[in-house]
Amino acid sequence: MARMRTNTARIRLLASFVAAASLVALPGCDDSRAHRAPGTIQVDIENSPPSTDPRFATDAISSRINELIFDSLVKTDRNGQFAAYLAESIERPSETDIVFHLRHGVRFSDGRELTARDVKYTYDSVLAPESISAKRGSIEELKSIDAPDDYTIVMTTAHPYAPALELATQGIVPYGTPLPSKAHTPAPMGSGPFQMVGYTRDESAILVRNPYCPYPQGAPRTILFKVVPDPTVRALELAEGVCDFSGNNIEYDVLPWLAAHKYLAISKTPGTTYKYLSFNFRDPRLRDLRVRRGIAYSIDRATIVNAMLRGTARIATGLLSPENWAYNGGVTGYTYDPEKARQLLDQAGYPAGSDGMRALKFEYKTTPEGARLGEVFQAMLQRVGIALTIRTLDFATYYADIQSGNFDLTSLQWVGINDPNHYYMVFDSKKTPPGLNRGFYSNPAMDRLVEAAMRTLDRAERARIYAQVQQLAAEDLPYVSLWWVDNVAVMNRRLVGFDAYPNGSLRSLATLTLTTPGKAESQ
Amino acid sequence: MIEYLARRLLALVPVALGVATLTFAIIHLVPGDPVVAMLGESAAPADIVAMRHQMGLDRPLLGQYLSYLGGLAVGDLGESTSYRRPVSRLIAERFPATIELAAAGMLVAILIAFPLGIIAGSNPGGAGDLGAMGFAIVGISVPHIYLGPLLMILFSLDLRWLPLTGRGGFAHLILPAVTLGAALAAILARMLRQSLIRVRESDYMRTARGKGLSERSALIRHGLRNALTSVVTIIGLQMGALLSGTLITEMIFSWPGLGRLLIGAIGARDYPLVEGCVLTFAMTYVVVNMATDLLYAAIDPRVRIS
Repeated sequence: MARMRTNTARIRLLASFVAAASLVALPGCDDSRAHRAPGTIQVDIENSPPSTDPRFATDAISSRINELIFDSLVKTDRNGQFAAYLAESIERPSETDIVFHLRHGVRFSDGRELTARDVKYTYDSVLAPESISAKRGSIEELKSIDAPDDYTIVMTTAHPYAPALELATQGIVPYGTPLPSKAHTPAPMGSGPFQMVGYTRDESAILVRNPYCPYPQGAPRTILFKVVPDPTVRALELAEGVCDFSGNNIEYDVLPWLAAHKYLAISKTPGTTYKYLSFNFRDPRLRDLRVRRGIAYSIDRATIVNAMLRGTARIATGLLSPENWAYNGGVTGYTYDPEKARQLLDQAGYPAGSDGMRALKFEYKTTPEGARLGEVFQAMLQRVGIALTIRTLDFATYYADIQSGNFDLTSLQWVGINDPNHYYMVFDSKKTPPGLNRGFYSNPAMDRLVEAAMRTLDRAERARIYAQVQQLAAEDLPYVSLWWVDNVAVMNRRLVGFDAYPNGSLRSLATLTLTTPGKAESQ
Repeated sequence: MIEYLARRLLALVPVALGVATLTFAIIHLVPGDPVVAMLGESAAPADIVAMRHQMGLDRPLLGQYLSYLGGLAVGDLGESTSYRRPVSRLIAERFPATIELAAAGMLVAILIAFPLGIIAGSNPGGAGDLGAMGFAIVGISVPHIYLGPLLMILFSLDLRWLPLTGRGGFAHLILPAVTLGAALAAILARMLRQSLIRVRESDYMRTARGKGLSERSALIRHGLRNALTSVVTIIGLQMGALLSGTLITEMIFSWPGLGRLLIGAIGARDYPLVEGCVLTFAMTYVVVNMATDLLYAAIDPRVRIS
């Protein structure tokens, strides 16, 4: 009897525990929604920004966040053109000199005024050998930078360099900001609309307003960037109303489900991210233009865009999207035509066997995320008799292989192409690995054109040269152009006035209007 | 007892050495360059050389290995190349979150498994047995990566009882712990059922029944304790699966633990951090198994630690 009482007591204890747990849980459930102070928005990101210092960060997520904190001499506008920002005017007195006249009254978040001394210091600290910054390579054309007075900066390039304004996109930090490699230093200050007040790697970054930078009434005062690695969970957070904004990191498959939530809005705008299929020109079979064209004709890009990407992309003609000032859309195209592909492959000396397959077997390297697209290519190429073996690798291994040119075929994308000089970076024969010409493409005609365009300062003449570059790239096929990825942002309707930039910039988060809660609370 | 403990603790040294050597070899063998991962493709060649030197990667592999072991001997796990902070400090910051999650997962597993196992084992073939084992099969079959979002949809999105992600109070722990513990609960429930069925036929159970105890009382008072030995063994052995399960669970629930740290470190080819994390996981597993051995003596008086 005593034992039974003990058991009953235990059951009661267990029941009390469960009840207590529920009580603790219930306030907790509100926690995720109610913790936000008025004026705060949460933006979900897939990875943590590796660096909070604009002198070192080169990845997309860091760049997006840093753009809200740091100002640069110029910024790109929505057409990918460089426009003066910290500089109120720009002069080019010679082919190698650029003079920037700075705006007065721009202040860092501690109230100090931003002057030419800060700009010069920022660039000098990147260029200092001890910085070992990943950005040194991107400003290697910069020979010197001088600050003759507090509001003038003179940049001198080693040669006449047409895309020189790209050098002026570096985020500016205050004079004396130490290099992060020397100590675990807090995030540097900037003169942009926000300052970073909290950063926990792999968890979150908290941005609050720079008190010396005016902002529109009703705009967000705090942005919480939360790291949510799982794409499904990012979608759930949007649906639950925990997250207010997720940009270019939601899977296409869940977009219709999210669209069914009346408090969520989906913004789909043309983007400049360029997706391509790359060949390795060290393989003699792929050096044959007929084989490359055969592959190009066998890929049904329209079907992939409509079925797999749910219409969130535009068929590409080359690296430059229609928004770019140098875009040439009238180049050779490769509409899906398997019969033409078979003819080209026959002409190249690879006739189909009795099983329909040819002596063409390639390895397609990809990551787990890219495996689905690889399977689509595999099925499409099989229709014309080409066998594709898919090799799925973890990203670091895959990237190491691609960087060293160790692949037959692969598909990657270029994000944030602004200046057409990108053609030089990826197709010039001097840029083979460790450069960005990973497929070892070499064509003297292409070299001549891209090098001439890089040294030509006249915009109209550059545009004429790049029109030829785009036609040559379309004919010679160092890449098969696949599509330009749309910018897809899913946001809570309480965010009003989000202005999407083709390059995916989140700059508009600083100026949009935050209305009263419009999320699921009303449901 | 003390001698036994000392012997087991001493055995940790070769295990640690083996794990450290294997991890060092594997992470250095896989393709991927930590310097390029840090600096990117457009880095100047001189910077790549300078960084390689700064990180000590230009030294012969044997020299790097001996330095690593030398550091380990004095408790220095080196400095993370991606975080630029001491590995031991990073692990100290993240390990409590993983232990919290693993312990909660284990607790959930036990809380689910014991009632199910007892129900199933006390009446094999009955409705309770079929229901409990059906649940167990589902628990084993559903992977973390599927169960986690399912629980989120039900308890966060629809019922709005629990937070979706992150680490905070007790409420934040429930869904990750259930996700992590579900598979182990199923395994333990099946194991407990089998053990109970076995002990039901034992002489002492017949004696207990002969003394007038009901079947249920005999099972709980005498059978359960005897059945627990094999269950405790499984708990110890499954600790490895539980720890590896934290890797996925932490990713799903944005839980800031050691698993996420390790996955990020592998991607960045952060050699010291990968080595430190793997060593920590391995040592945890070994220590938990040692504790399991000690627990035998507490459960079964026939077992004496010597």
